[in-house]
Amino acid sequence: MTEERDLHPLEEKLLVYLEEHGESSDKEIIERSDLPDEGSFRRAAEWLLSRELVREASRDEEEFVELGPLGIANLEAGVTPELAMLREVAGGAGSLQDIQKNTVFDRGRWGSAFGSLMKTGHLIKDASGIHLSCGPQETVFQKVWDLVYEPLADGGELKMARLPEDVVLIINDRSPKRGKSRAEFTVNVVVTRVLDITEKGSVALRAAKESVTIGAITPEILADGSWRHAKFRRYQLDIPPSQIHTGRLHPYRQFLDTVRKRFMALGFTEMRGSLAENEFWNNDALFMPQFHPARDIHDVYFLSDGIKVPPPERELEERVAEVHENGGNTGGRGWGYSFSREQSLQTILRSQGTALSARTLASNPDIPGKYFGIARCFRYDQVDSTHLPDFFQVEGIVLGEQINLRHLLGLLKLFAEEIAGASDYKFLPGYFPFTEPSVEMHIFHPVLGWVEGGGAGLFRPEVCLPLGIDVPVIAWGLGLDRMAMLAMGIEDIRDLITPDLTKLRGIRVQPDRLLTGKEDENA
Amino acid sequence: MPKIEVSRQDLFSQACIDDPGDEKLADILSLVKGEIDSSEGDCLKLELNDTNRPDLWCVEGVARAIRCWNAGAQRHLEELPEPDMEIFVDSGLEKVRPYVAAFAACGWAPGQKELDALIDVQEKLAASFGKNRKTAGAGFYRLDDIEFPVRYRAASPETSFIPLGFEKEMTLSEILEETETGRTYAHLLEGKDLWPLLEDIGGNVLSFPPVLNSQTTGRVSAGDSRLFCEVTGTEWETVQLSATILACNLQDRGAEIFPIRINYPEPYPVKTVVTPILFSDLMTASMESIREVLGAPISPESVQKALQRMDYASVEFDRIGITGIMPPYRRDGIHAVDMIEDIVISLGLSSFEPLLPEQFTLGKCAPIEDLADAARILLAGAGCEEILRPVLTSRAKIKDATRTPNNPVSIANPMTAEYGVVRNTLLPGLLEVESTSAHAAYPHRIFETGEVLTVGEDGNCRTEILLACLVCGNKADFGDAHSIIGSLCHSRAIGLSLADADDDRFIPGRCAVITIDGRDSGVIGELHPAVLDNWGISRPASAFEIALSALKG
Repeated sequence: MTEERDLHPLEEKLLVYLEEHGESSDKEIIERSDLPDEGSFRRAAEWLLSRELVREASRDEEEFVELGPLGIANLEAGVTPELAMLREVAGGAGSLQDIQKNTVFDRGRWGSAFGSLMKTGHLIKDASGIHLSCGPQETVFQKVWDLVYEPLADGGELKMARLPEDVVLIINDRSPKRGKSRAEFTVNVVVTRVLDITEKGSVALRAAKESVTIGAITPEILADGSWRHAKFRRYQLDIPPSQIHTGRLHPYRQFLDTVRKRFMALGFTEMRGSLAENEFWNNDALFMPQFHPARDIHDVYFLSDGIKVPPPERELEERVAEVHENGGNTGGRGWGYSFSREQSLQTILRSQGTALSARTLASNPDIPGKYFGIARCFRYDQVDSTHLPDFFQVEGIVLGEQINLRHLLGLLKLFAEEIAGASDYKFLPGYFPFTEPSVEMHIFHPVLGWVEGGGAGLFRPEVCLPLGIDVPVIAWGLGLDRMAMLAMGIEDIRDLITPDLTKLRGIRVQPDRLLTGKEDENA
Repeated sequence: MPKIEVSRQDLFSQACIDDPGDEKLADILSLVKGEIDSSEGDCLKLELNDTNRPDLWCVEGVARAIRCWNAGAQRHLEELPEPDMEIFVDSGLEKVRPYVAAFAACGWAPGQKELDALIDVQEKLAASFGKNRKTAGAGFYRLDDIEFPVRYRAASPETSFIPLGFEKEMTLSEILEETETGRTYAHLLEGKDLWPLLEDIGGNVLSFPPVLNSQTTGRVSAGDSRLFCEVTGTEWETVQLSATILACNLQDRGAEIFPIRINYPEPYPVKTVVTPILFSDLMTASMESIREVLGAPISPESVQKALQRMDYASVEFDRIGITGIMPPYRRDGIHAVDMIEDIVISLGLSSFEPLLPEQFTLGKCAPIEDLADAARILLAGAGCEEILRPVLTSRAKIKDATRTPNNPVSIANPMTAEYGVVRNTLLPGLLEVESTSAHAAYPHRIFETGEVLTVGEDGNCRTEILLACLVCGNKADFGDAHSIIGSLCHSRAIGLSLADADDDRFIPGRCAVITIDGRDSGVIGELHPAVLDNWGISRPASAFEIALSALKG
């Protein structure tokens, strides 16, 4: 059995008032008791009623009517459309069209007045037109005007109970609960409740008065030891907490952090690169021919004149040029065109993370070695719900004497299972200018079905040899934006970089759930 | 990636298989690095991922790959008869549109649908592979309307004939000006005095390549079973390969191919060429190198069989290794590894057991990223919310709205001015957040660590990681930003000092250069009301921006 909760100070105040004054209405209590405000009273009353320390002695509901926006408009016109229409017909108008020529009310209001007069039977329509069934003065609409509009001419409200039944019917019909902005009347219900203390309430109040209870603990209470002889007031614990806006890391950055951590855990060293590259590192070193469509002016951002990236060493550049032209010493025949040094040195914004891998290969990497990098890349796209001006790619290489196709597949399997948390995946032959064989991985997502899980391959000898690498190299890459959207539960890619703090605060942070939403077992 | 539209029924009848259903087809398409883009009734849209395989950008090519994989190599275009038709190329075309390849295809009468498909392939090749007819463009004719030999000559713009789809004679220059096709391709002939023309010995114009065929000889109808096909262009290899692919397609359809001798004048490096050409690229790989890439034991016989299923014209093996000759419609074999990939594709990736790299390697974080992580966690601990903004932005945001002293690097070919520069500062991004977040509960403490591009005096650009933080709210002032950088430096045991500075972004007298361990490392201040006004921010704000590396200490 749980112990009965102690009285909250607000509850105690309310009980004290009722003990002293007996049955009291809400209004009296709010105005005369020690409770600080109406909200405090209502909360205390709810708590006490639910604990049966207070009971509802009586409850009356009374309805009041006031004019709604349409009613006020009628008042300004000095007449309701119904009354005006009755008068028009009395004055000889024979059709709705005739009446609608009068612009006191618009066509719509004339129309609905006509409808309600037909319904009440005040108007009769036959072959010769419309007629009155009685004089305008004798209709309920005249009563409405006299009993409701006239008394409310200066605002205020009327007790519904004092109005005749037919007038009440009209009012109820024209005071919708919704769409109040188009209502003729508004009906307000005022509840008069009378509360009284119960036997149980008197007992609880006496008990409370006899014992010292502590609410908030203060340094003084701790210092003087008064807590030793007091009772601690029991708190209600399951109320909603007040909100704080914590400092927090960006959801997408947290996602990227998780990807980084997982690669490092798999023994990869992180690479860093430059936003701007020359075409040499972005394309030529990767054996992408200078006429390749992805190098077109409509696919790559070029930087303005005079902005440079330091050129590669002359010897390296010559080896790469030769490989493009005739295969060099790689055993292949090359692309068979004349390599342009000028194009090679043009400065562009990095279009693929593979540029990082090319630079790493050229700077004496560890063998065996595993490298990865998360790179912001740029492609010539219109920004919309599926394209950003720049996007994140994760990119990497694995080098070693014994590396082969099966290791490539093994690595992709590892990524699917450990990085993306996928339970099903498949490998398909792919095409990339710098790898052969090339493989694409597709990953099964429980909601979306098969999604792209990255491309990979063994770097061609035409890539490795000029950069000074004579062991096989696995290369792989994957765009991360889409995977992050899946993990973060957002549908518009622009929300990844939203400048709207409210929206950002609403994006869930679950970096431990990657692509497939599978939870990290160690979390 | 090239996308093609094919008829299911046509594809499977040419591939000699029953319709396998979409799921199975998706697997089969891995043979051609293809994917199903959409499938509706008889209409299949396929995406082909290999940009070096124009032979696959048509129903014939995809069907051929499937058929050969099931039935073995088909030795296309071998044992053709001796040419008895000739084309003479006149001098004067060297700088205009120098090359031509041609052949005749007889004995197959396309129906209307098949003819449409044929024209479609020809257009697709010219558009993608032939760079919109520049490097290569093809045309079909009724063979019997042509009196051989044919001349490929440089003609004056005043030469006239009746172009396809018109009733009256037009001069070449009228064609370029007055027909839609002419206007589309006029730029290919810009600046040339003489234009290419194909005509027969009787003086009948065949076409004005690469623009329009003639109405009289250049019109092919359903039921025509004797066709003449020519390809002209500016690139030797593209022209030849296009012609060879078209010839293989027609041979697959059931036509007999008759080659044509092309005679070139001085100063072309060749005198005569018989087309379609069989490139027959020969590739050699040792069994050892094959096994090294595959990571699996495999016999020469298996390799031979695998390549035959990829339609290799010939595959032989000896002590040295495997020598394969690629099918004539392919020129993408430029190294033995390309042949090795064909072995992999033929065997299927699923036949290789995945293996983890055995060798031990260390996992390491890039030092600057380690530093960024440390700073980010401290800032989040200080109650700051992290922001992520794009690297591309506009000059207006950096210069006009924020009044940043340094100029950002511009993009020479921006798509829109909104993303016309690479950011050199993070502050405009944070200000943009403020300008769109007036409804979010205050105070706002926001920060970003991110890459920017700066330019040194030598014109070389550098990627740098900056850290910027901004506090905005009814009572935000200099002290807010100051205490955040202060606690950051304190946590990392770094000495921080400020020296008064003038900077348009900040209020005079409330702006300083941040000196960390004696080095100028950034700037701090209370944002100038003019800047706040530019951004439509209605509450005071203070901010700092430093080079992340300064926090290294």
